[in-house]
Amino acid sequence: MPDQAPLVGIVIVSHSSALATGVVELAAQMAGPALSLTAVGGAPTGGLGTDADRIASAIAAADSGAGVLVIGDLGSAILATETAIETMSAGTAPRVRISGGPIVEGAVLAAVQASIGESLDEVLAAAESARDLDKGVGR
Amino acid sequence: MISVELEIRNPSGLHARPAAMFVRTAGAQQAAILVRNVSLGSAEVNGKSLLAVMGLGVSHGQCIAVTADGEDEEAAIEAIRGAVDGGLGETVEGTAGGEPEPT
Repeated sequence: MPDQAPLVGIVIVSHSSALATGVVELAAQMAGPALSLTAVGGAPTGGLGTDADRIASAIAAADSGAGVLVIGDLGSAILATETAIETMSAGTAPRVRISGGPIVEGAVLAAVQASIGESLDEVLAAAESARDLDKGVGR
Repeated sequence: MISVELEIRNPSGLHARPAAMFVRTAGAQQAAILVRNVSLGSAEVNGKSLLAVMGLGVSHGQCIAVTADGEDEEAAIEAIRGAVDGGLGETVEGTAGGEPEPT
């Protein structure tokens, strides 16, 4: 790889810990080992839900200077992420983007683009482009 | 600017995982990389975009044309040729594991 520039980190936020972990497993296999991919799933007390404190910690840990993209599964995953960003330092918060696109497809597309050194806005665009992904049904 | 035509021998074509490996190889090059599906007569797309490469719908046995444009274009084409011939992380028939052929 020609550059050592920091890569955009990706945090997957799901109501389900198992789902978040599985999405990270799949995206990591596609994007290779260089990328920071973190799963945050479940409520603070366990079970289904979201946890703004753990989301904030994961975002802070995933930021190596190039910023962090968070991909959430459903509504309150996005709300909890927005709450998490409000609690974060002025250094990191402006370098965080949220995608509400399809979580599996968005994570895979974003992870591969992040792994080749694309910018935060380009990685966000990749996640959002997952809405248009043609999976080849009936091809 | 240089181009090469390559046959995709992966059993399921340029589906998600090999397409991702293609994009990671292309993305490691400084040169701009464009790809089209020769067999389907498609338009050229950005070889550094997974969405675009998967969208080419390349199936087993089809040919792609890869164009590199930039200072490292020769090395870029060789890297991509090596990755495709090596199966893009999969086992394909007639693969020498991506090793260079003896001269």
